[in-house]
Amino acid sequence: MSKVALLAPAGSLEAADVAFDSGADLIYVGLKGWSRGGYRGELTRDEFTQCLAHAKRQGKRVWLAANIIPKPKERAELLRRLADLTASGLEGVIVNDLGFLREVRRVFPDLFVSASIGCGAMNLEDVRFYEAQGAGAVVLPANLEPEEVAAIKSKTTIQVELMAHMVEQFIQLGKCFMPSYLHFRPTDREEVGLRLTGSVKRGGVGVCFRVCQEPWELSDGDRVREQLLFPSRQLSRLVDLGEFLDAGVDIVKLQGRSLPPELIAPLVRRYRSAIAHWENGERDWVPPEPPVLPPMWTMVGR
Amino acid sequence: MKDPPFELNTVLSNLKDLEGSDLTAFDAVYLGNIYCRLYEQNFLERPDDLKQGILRVKAAGKKAYVSTYAAPRNSFLPKLRKVLEVAHSVPADAVEVHNLGVLRMAHEEFPDLKVHIGGMANVYTDAGASVLKQYGAERVTPNYELSLDEIRELTRASELPAEILVHGKMPLGISDHCFLLDYEEKWGIQCPTLCQLPLFVKKDGWAMRSAGKGIMSGKDVCMLEHLPSLLDAGHRVFRIEAAYETAVYRREVAQVYREALELALTGEPYKIDERWWEVIRAHAHIGLCNGFYFGRTGMDYLDASSPAIASFLGREVAAD
Repeated sequence: MSKVALLAPAGSLEAADVAFDSGADLIYVGLKGWSRGGYRGELTRDEFTQCLAHAKRQGKRVWLAANIIPKPKERAELLRRLADLTASGLEGVIVNDLGFLREVRRVFPDLFVSASIGCGAMNLEDVRFYEAQGAGAVVLPANLEPEEVAAIKSKTTIQVELMAHMVEQFIQLGKCFMPSYLHFRPTDREEVGLRLTGSVKRGGVGVCFRVCQEPWELSDGDRVREQLLFPSRQLSRLVDLGEFLDAGVDIVKLQGRSLPPELIAPLVRRYRSAIAHWENGERDWVPPEPPVLPPMWTMVGR
Repeated sequence: MKDPPFELNTVLSNLKDLEGSDLTAFDAVYLGNIYCRLYEQNFLERPDDLKQGILRVKAAGKKAYVSTYAAPRNSFLPKLRKVLEVAHSVPADAVEVHNLGVLRMAHEEFPDLKVHIGGMANVYTDAGASVLKQYGAERVTPNYELSLDEIRELTRASELPAEILVHGKMPLGISDHCFLLDYEEKWGIQCPTLCQLPLFVKKDGWAMRSAGKGIMSGKDVCMLEHLPSLLDAGHRVFRIEAAYETAVYRREVAQVYREALELALTGEPYKIDERWWEVIRAHAHIGLCNGFYFGRTGMDYLDASSPAIASFLGREVAAD
């Protein structure tokens, strides 16, 4: 059985160092303008080089979240950047778009590709689909149950990443077009050109402005029935992580590229510890800290 | 039999809607509610109803398509397999898939079943469309966020025809949970009739139609003014998205679009009949928008050629 890997977010060089020090085996970062996290939480090319060097020194790995949906004319540019980064030692890339996944497989057959949570895989057949497309791993959301993961793992050989710590927005990631319906604007971005503010799925700039976190009135005809926020919740599968690992999860992934280093550290440590206890065969281990984390930990960019 | 010059279609969730709807103005119907397994008498949960539905639509001389769940979990798959079996055996004219797992299932297990890719499948580029074509896709509804220019490029490069939502509530998202269930007790209205109330979430000038798990545009997408340019761009398949509307809405709006498309195809000057606007206005409780077709915010309406519609939208019409 291969070792479980812990995949942590890093929105800055400092966060990357802290993530490694706290026990992450690998981290994922975005390159300015080319990920779904927005500019906040993305690295410059120089920072990326440094990040890779830091990882190498410690025998750890870096993946790139290239999880935008490149327009046809952006595709070549993103592939060019991937070629550059791969030559510098990038080992894996997280993609969001099926078409781009295929391009990456074709151009970089040796680069590890993970199908992002934005791909929306939730069931066995989805995972089989991405397996057939040549993805090395597929990300599943934390709202799935261990039995669902076990059913998937029993019929596939692809690696499964569980986004064990994440905010579950009311609308599924990768299937939400509310922001752009309400506010959508082409925005010129230095370095990368025209991008579309409000298109969460396509990413690349300022992206989501969290309309789901606004107070809404729910009305039935002219009658206002409720004041509501769209329910979102923090999911943290720390307590039942062992069951997911038993089910065959290969990679434990944590969300939050916009988390500051001081929150990355305890988050990564908790999951490292849970994995270590599981690896020691301590099946009835329970984490000492409460599984629900302080609210500020949920202010994550993806 | 000669193919009709265009296809105007819509979607119906259950046999009750099918029986209550006058489909005269439609050429094709998708059967099944893509959002929710608990939707009242959802075709996708009732293989016998689905079979009957397909037969009735076909007996009316129309194409019968079967839609499928947009975001299924493992537990949905046995039922979905049954749905595909029914679609394959009756047979339906195609299935619509929004989920790539369901696409794979259809392609592997029912290879001769025709497949349309639905709007929740997130097809944004020709690269994505081309992959789906290898899975037997014959038609694609590009993601709603694409502009007409982007759609043109996608269809040109992938050589897949696009289905265009021309009128109705544009899907904006899907949830794994139905938040309306929290209100069952308080409101004294139970699922599955709860989401059939005319529910909107509103804030300032914003509104969206809520169906519990699904959320849609509050305004009606309306492309009535732009049908000639859609036809010029080569589009021939048009959808009226009216799963949560009344039978009267479906009949009247479809009639308007049928007349308008027929007029546009004659090549005669395309002038919108004021009667058509009256129908559109009467059904658009929140307003009208063009979706993302012109590269703008989804709830915007680009221009208004008619004084009546401009006044409805609260705008002034530029003098000739």
